[in-house]
Amino acid sequence: MKILILAFVYLFGAPLLGGLISGLDRKITARLQGRVGPPVWQPFFDVLKLMEKENLVVRRSQNFYIAFFLVLIIFTGGLFFTGEDILLVIFALTLAGIFFVLGGYKTSSPYSFIGAQRELLQMMSYEPAVILAAVGMYMVTKSFYVADIFFFDKPLYLYLPGILISFIFILAIKFRKSPFDLSMSHHAHQELVKGITTEFSGKTLGLIEIAHWYENAFILGFVYLFFASNALLAVIATLGIYFFVIVVDSVFARAKWQMTLVTSWAIALIFGLGNIIILHFFKG
Amino acid sequence: MSFLKKSPWIIHYDGSSCNGCDIEVLACLTPVYDVERLGIINTGNPKHADIFLVTGSVNEQNKEVIQNIYNQMPSPKVVVAVGICACSGGIFAECYNVSGGVDKIIPVDVYVPGCAARPESIIDGVAKSLAILEAKQKKLKSMEDGLEKMEIMMASISDAPEILALQKLAYQSEAEIYNDFSLRPLTQTLAEMKEDFQSKVFLKAVINDTIVGSVRAYMEGDSCHIKRLIVNPIYQNLGIGKKLMAEIENHFSSAKRFEVFTGNKSKRNIYFYHKLGFKEFKCEKVSEKRDRLYFEKIIEVKHD
Repeated sequence: MKILILAFVYLFGAPLLGGLISGLDRKITARLQGRVGPPVWQPFFDVLKLMEKENLVVRRSQNFYIAFFLVLIIFTGGLFFTGEDILLVIFALTLAGIFFVLGGYKTSSPYSFIGAQRELLQMMSYEPAVILAAVGMYMVTKSFYVADIFFFDKPLYLYLPGILISFIFILAIKFRKSPFDLSMSHHAHQELVKGITTEFSGKTLGLIEIAHWYENAFILGFVYLFFASNALLAVIATLGIYFFVIVVDSVFARAKWQMTLVTSWAIALIFGLGNIIILHFFKG
Repeated sequence: MSFLKKSPWIIHYDGSSCNGCDIEVLACLTPVYDVERLGIINTGNPKHADIFLVTGSVNEQNKEVIQNIYNQMPSPKVVVAVGICACSGGIFAECYNVSGGVDKIIPVDVYVPGCAARPESIIDGVAKSLAILEAKQKKLKSMEDGLEKMEIMMASISDAPEILALQKLAYQSEAEIYNDFSLRPLTQTLAEMKEDFQSKVFLKAVINDTIVGSVRAYMEGDSCHIKRLIVNPIYQNLGIGKKLMAEIENHFSSAKRFEVFTGNKSKRNIYFYHKLGFKEFKCEKVSEKRDRLYFEKIIEVKHD
């Protein structure tokens, strides 16, 4: 019963929270650039508008993949917020990403093709840091279950500072922010038109956006886990880290894929794996 | 309420202008004017855009580009011509390679004059276009809702301009298949169309006073020749074509045989005619680019 309520709250709360957060993001970005910026609910207007538009497709099947992408992202977040196994959460997230990439490939547009390839490279880039985060959390709490990690009474970030750093680093990829917004972005980087979403329009584009909200809520939840022992600190730290990502986004240009891959792997290996090795010897 | 007004996304294209207007369009995005506070985003992708801002006149080189961008935008969409060159050709109007304003190629909804147009007037033009965008969306919606109320009736000669416009729209996809924009239906003039009305029977499918489909036919001996079945691209795959065909066959119920033709690469048309019981009986070469497939349907006389 409790799980059902949790799932229900998540199903409706997560897109609301995710949408509001991306609205805040646009507002803050605008303020950082000295602009007024759109209203906070702008992302909701955008999606509602997209629902009213014609849905142009190259192939009808491309929309099918996006529907699966959305379902799997919801599934990922659902597993996470109901306190299930974090490894399963990560696998579901990867599978969702793969469906997004397949959708991009399906459209046969050169722009979305390169976008899809870059999306794959991005997934390769962030995967080590995410897996190491799960391993690190297991080493401290002796459990892979999100519920156990959430209710762990000692502050995780003190045990896993390196892993936290490597995780913050890959947040730019997951939030699709500069410098690692290679496959698509919400800003005016138009070297690939709109990257992986180039050939999606109308309702399907709206679904991608909603999936992105769910994803945002899930990732912020993941960051929250590092500070979960103290709720107040956790909220402040999560929002602080998100703000940091926005500032980085405003400061940097888009990086090349080589740099994305090398730096995120290097940081995951040095800070993340280093953290785990040290943990192993001290806790052992 | 419509959310189109709250989040109009823009694509801008610079024709053969001096770039002055283009720079002013980009100036709208800067902190001074900041159109994003109105929800306006410069997308750079026609498939995400609602408003098409064109600066500069149309020339022989960019004709197709403008047409292509316009065709790729999902409806409802509006076009705003920014600057005097985009409105009328401006000082370049007389040039040998300039066709004139943007309205020579695509329908323009709002004209923003000026050389260069000021950012304020560009924003004003975009704001004006929002009302048109909303009206277009309402019309589309009412047409969609009116599908059940569709009526098929005889067309009169006063419908010729509307049917001709629809014909040119509907044959775009055919022209793209064969990469041949000199197809007869696309080059037909109004006078020729009116001549057609003398010799053929025209049927039209009407939703809310707008013609969304049409077909024409004439008798020759015992066989009825059905020509140019057209349906507005937005309303294709909704059974309008099938109803039109049924109606025209009904109209010529005395005919022993019905005949249609289509191009050899038009897979959807071939499938459509097969489904209606037509059979191929002849293939004729028309040009290097396409062959013409003839279909017939023979009505068996019942012996009771």
